Amino acid sequence: MAYLLHQLLSKSASKYPDNTAVWARGQSLTYRELDERSNQLAHLLREHGIRKGDRVGMYFPKAVESVVSMFGVLKAGGVYVPLDPQQPAQRIQYIIDNCGIKALVTTREKLQGLDSAAIKTVEFCVFTDRMNGTGTATPGSSWKDLAGFPAASAPDGLQSTTLDLAYILYTSGSTGRPKGVMLSHQNAMTFVDWCADTFQIQPEDRLSNHAPLHFDLSVFDVYNAIEAGAAVYMVPEDAMLFPATLAKFMAGQSISVWYSVPSALVHLILHGNLTSQNLERLRLMLFAGEIFPIKYLRQLTELLPKVELYNLYGPTETNVCTYYRVDRAKLPSMEKIPIGRACANTEVFAVDDRDQFILPGQTGELYVRGPSVTCGYWGDPEKTHKMVVPNRFQSNYEEKMYRTGDLVILREDGDYDFVGRRDSQIKSRGYRIELGEIEAALLSHPAVKEVAVVAVPDEEVSNRIKAIVAPHNGAALTASHLQQHCAQRVPRYMIPELIEFRESLPKTTTGKLDRVLLASSR
Amino acid sequence: MMEEIKDKVREFVLDAAQRKGLDSVTDDESLTENGVIDSLAIFRLVSFLEDNFGVRIADEEIVNENFRSVSAIESFVADKLRKKVK
Repeated sequence: MAYLLHQLLSKSASKYPDNTAVWARGQSLTYRELDERSNQLAHLLREHGIRKGDRVGMYFPKAVESVVSMFGVLKAGGVYVPLDPQQPAQRIQYIIDNCGIKALVTTREKLQGLDSAAIKTVEFCVFTDRMNGTGTATPGSSWKDLAGFPAASAPDGLQSTTLDLAYILYTSGSTGRPKGVMLSHQNAMTFVDWCADTFQIQPEDRLSNHAPLHFDLSVFDVYNAIEAGAAVYMVPEDAMLFPATLAKFMAGQSISVWYSVPSALVHLILHGNLTSQNLERLRLMLFAGEIFPIKYLRQLTELLPKVELYNLYGPTETNVCTYYRVDRAKLPSMEKIPIGRACANTEVFAVDDRDQFILPGQTGELYVRGPSVTCGYWGDPEKTHKMVVPNRFQSNYEEKMYRTGDLVILREDGDYDFVGRRDSQIKSRGYRIELGEIEAALLSHPAVKEVAVVAVPDEEVSNRIKAIVAPHNGAALTASHLQQHCAQRVPRYMIPELIEFRESLPKTTTGKLDRVLLASSR
Repeated sequence: MMEEIKDKVREFVLDAAQRKGLDSVTDDESLTENGVIDSLAIFRLVSFLEDNFGVRIADEEIVNENFRSVSAIESFVADKLRKKVK
């Protein structure tokens, strides 16, 4: 019985040792190789003092070593933390310090980009690049050192349970700092089991991995491939940017299962020249993270008449909690695509402002309960208590549920429609962004007196980001200067595209920023 | 003509780079690695080239080889203009 994520690998490795498990950058590993390599990494990590619950960061561009690291850390009893190699060093350093990362799997180049004084919790590194010597101040092992550790089995005697943490995913935080969503083996397995049952992934399937690893869409790509004995193909960097290259990659690698944010698919529809590619093998496309504009979804169904399409919904805190299977017959008369209804082993419901369950046609905030709900935010009990709340609808025993902050409408047919947010969280190109984090980054500039960041709706990418800035008297500020200031603090996708300067910002009668007025004046 | 193309491309790339927080970009630097060309910027750049140089860029031409650096974009555009004249 597999109840831990890495048991999925052990099972498939004994059944399909010679199948390809993972492909990236022209390299691939079979199930046997992936299993053995991750066993060795687990032993190496144990020897360097990694114990149950210790955090291990993964900080390098996607490669076959990414998947080895995920399983190696889990087999050592550790918790892996994917760190986006494209994010500014300051933000990475904050995350490393915030959850006390003890070991880093990284490259020498990436490590040298970090300030060693800011990552004092890191005791050692494992370098995935093939250079000799550590070349850095932090003690480290080379990838080839793995060969000296036992390959046949993982470290034993760990007594891991399904309640142990498996990974921490950092998302944008409204107060200016990213927050670490803690996910246990149980959280992840609830989702993986549902996917395995619903999508019937087969050993012959080839799954793509488009999302970055710190994004929960990757959980499906990696673990459901491994669960099934199928292969996961990491989308190359140039294919991430150029839709025609992406379409060629999908055809050339015979991808059969695809999962990404709608923005990536919109680019593929508009510029991928899909009709010129042979996508015969493609059988299933999943998308999540933002609303798929219905007109593009219709185009996609026309371009790919045989592919099954699903809209998945759920914040990182619950992974996917609802799903909607696209019904081609209904599509012409639909105005928007629903987020659907609850996945297996999950309950969702919505309540109005008076805490009453909503009736069909009404709007309310969506709540999620079940074993997929996060254990909370790392090192932030206050935030955890605000979002992961006791289930007040039953009082017989202690149980938690997650309040999503998402407003939904219950349709007559029992599906839910997403309508918006209660707060200032937005999506842009599928990335979850707290406008407050961008405002905090801008306010940290000494010449900025007031700032408001607003989302400008856009059909292709959901939202573009605009900042309205009031400088201190006499301060000369330029947009590009402030964009550079942001670039050191927030990921690229959070840097405001437009910056407008004003003498002061409009206020409401209570002295708060008048966001309604600001939003309407864009 | 070559210089004019390069200047216009540089101007666009520098503006895109500044939006990403970079203050300079060399002619041979990889625009995909430094993040200047992202999935939004690439199509703005294509429209910019089409509008400024009167060329038509097909989807199959929007690939790394033609857009990886200022120099690559310049020779791609120059090549298209030469073919157009013929």
